[in-house]
Amino acid sequence: MPIEMSSRRSRITDEEINELISKLQSLLPESRRRSMSRASASKLLKETCSYIKSLHREVDDLSDRLSDLMSTMDSNSPQAEIIRSILRS
Amino acid sequence: MQATKSFEQAFLKQMLLGIQLSAVSHGSGSLQERKSAIKLSADVAMAVARGSKKWTRGLIASLSKEEQNRSFLQFVLGKEFERPAKICHSSWKIPRSKNIVRRSLRFLSKRKSNIRAPNSSVLAGTLVEKRTQVLKRLVPGGQSMDAFSLLDETLDYAACLRAQVDVMQKLMTTLEASKHRADSDAQRPKEKFHLLPMVGSWYSTRKGLRKRLSKRPKLTL
Repeated sequence: MPIEMSSRRSRITDEEINELISKLQSLLPESRRRSMSRASASKLLKETCSYIKSLHREVDDLSDRLSDLMSTMDSNSPQAEIIRSILRS
Repeated sequence: MQATKSFEQAFLKQMLLGIQLSAVSHGSGSLQERKSAIKLSADVAMAVARGSKKWTRGLIASLSKEEQNRSFLQFVLGKEFERPAKICHSSWKIPRSKNIVRRSLRFLSKRKSNIRAPNSSVLAGTLVEKRTQVLKRLVPGGQSMDAFSLLDETLDYAACLRAQVDVMQKLMTTLEASKHRADSDAQRPKEKFHLLPMVGSWYSTRKGLRKRLSKRPKLTL
């Protein structure tokens, strides 16, 4: 990104910051939002980091399970057919 | 970014293509290799489906740093793959990015101190800076982002991650359900049958499909 871009961006308004903060807050799932009475920036950042980490773990876990499932998949199986159908669509 | 159906569709297709490419479905390679291949496919697919954002470029750049990923990336990205390398280089050419971030944060906190609004100290304080550092490590390409971009990219990245998890989960469920049906063919489960909404149309044309399933108003998970 060119430098001009970031210097233009550093003159952002308070409204823009607040908007991003509230978007960040609404991004978090309900279960995480509930424990936050006040959306302090540091709490929000902490929750966001923890949320992203948990999503990473979920992807890791799903990759594991998918790889197990797929390695035992016969090319004649209905599962293989499902995958072929998705790729044809 | 609102994770749209078109993103999910593109992601799913791209991921499956990638998996096919790495021949995981043939059962070759060690357990760890197969798992890594799936994860690599999933991540590349997410970046490709999203298009050009800072975090997607950052993700591709960090993936390309590992030797075992390069042939896959080259295959999937083709000519596109040249650009991420350049992006990677150009971010190295901006060693001032850390200073830019510090300056931006300082500048913003100075501005904020004049305003009496409750969020006036929104980006001041070392705890915020510490946590921002953590976030920068979590979001691909985050190290070279200013605070504004970081927040913006985080929103986008987290939404895509969420969609990635959702689609992979749906795929799992669909494949597992199909497996169970094949195993216990006598039974004809009704709501146990899961389908991906995005491929609802192909399903009604499948051979041997029970007609009543195609009459379901909405094929949802």
